[in-house]
Amino acid sequence: MARKRKQEQPANDINLVPAMNLILILIPLLLTAMETLKLAVINVATPQIGPASEVTPPDQAPDEKPLKLTIALTDRGLHLYARDQVIENKDDPLGPTIPKKDGEEIIDGKPVTGKVYDYEKLTQMLSDIKDENPVEENIIISAESHIKYRYIIQVMDASREKKEGDKKKTLFPNVILSAGVA
Amino acid sequence: MSEEKNQTYEILSENYEQEMLAKKKAGKKKGREEGPVKLTITSLMDILTILLVFLLKSYSTDPVAVTPSADLDLVKSTTALMPEQTVTITVSKSAILVDNAMALAVKDGKVDGTQKRGGEDGYFIIPLNKMLTDAVEKQRRIAAVNPSAGKSLGIATIIMDGDTPFRLLTEVMYTAGQAEFSKFKFLTISNPEGA
Repeated sequence: MARKRKQEQPANDINLVPAMNLILILIPLLLTAMETLKLAVINVATPQIGPASEVTPPDQAPDEKPLKLTIALTDRGLHLYARDQVIENKDDPLGPTIPKKDGEEIIDGKPVTGKVYDYEKLTQMLSDIKDENPVEENIIISAESHIKYRYIIQVMDASREKKEGDKKKTLFPNVILSAGVA
Repeated sequence: MSEEKNQTYEILSENYEQEMLAKKKAGKKKGREEGPVKLTITSLMDILTILLVFLLKSYSTDPVAVTPSADLDLVKSTTALMPEQTVTITVSKSAILVDNAMALAVKDGKVDGTQKRGGEDGYFIIPLNKMLTDAVEKQRRIAAVNPSAGKSLGIATIIMDGDTPFRLLTEVMYTAGQAEFSKFKFLTISNPEGA
């Protein structure tokens, strides 16, 4: 034991230069590769062909028609359908349920004034529908073929939840994307 | 004559002595500066090691890496769901990619009619379907050995430019549906405040 201790070298300085080199190369490499954006996803399903029980919520009365809440985006505004019937706009029975309103939207980083979709009204209407159908969580979204993807995402955002002060009320988070409006 | 010589010698030697003294002084000063300097880099190493571990960790937990560009303008959303490791379909202004490999070109938000089954009005994009079928096949083979990888079977993450028309989205989803994808995840930039 004593012999062994004798053989031990006095503590030498470790040569840290190679380790430093490695670290100094790896850090800029990882920093540049690091994701600075926080990404998130929206779950979307496609219409499925299957037994009706999959679509109908279990505690819904069997004789009642499924809600089949549908939003269709067109150039004029948002058309809403429930139980295969149009939800009419009282001011304009032939027009869309929620017509476009005058407003401002940001296109390519610049604010542009013009007609925009009324997301606040959509959230309000869906909130009322949710109160009547508390178990329903599905929503079908469809659009005209030239409608841009960003508006579809915004409609999904508006129909997912409603902010009530600090609380969030869940509306219809299960999105089913349907083929285009003719 | 010899006296003169002696005088010059004296002057020279005096100068020489002074010069040597000055040189010696300078040399001493220089020597003190050049001496071995020891840096204490232990604390620096600590910082760098922590940083390295943190970066490596964040690097490995990102299942989807996207670099937004003018060609791929991602949409902001209030959703809070985290991305998962799945097959990715990227639709930019100029191309459609499957798992970052080019599938086909896009022009003005449209796919050329010759690339689709049924021409201009078709929904089935042939090159995209081929690549997606290959991707599913690859996933199946992995899932056969590693059952935990089978969770993402039939799920595709769609990374799409904000200006893409709905028609192209339905075409991509229909084509993916034909390659046995039934669930989709639309990738967005998280913006919880909705501002």
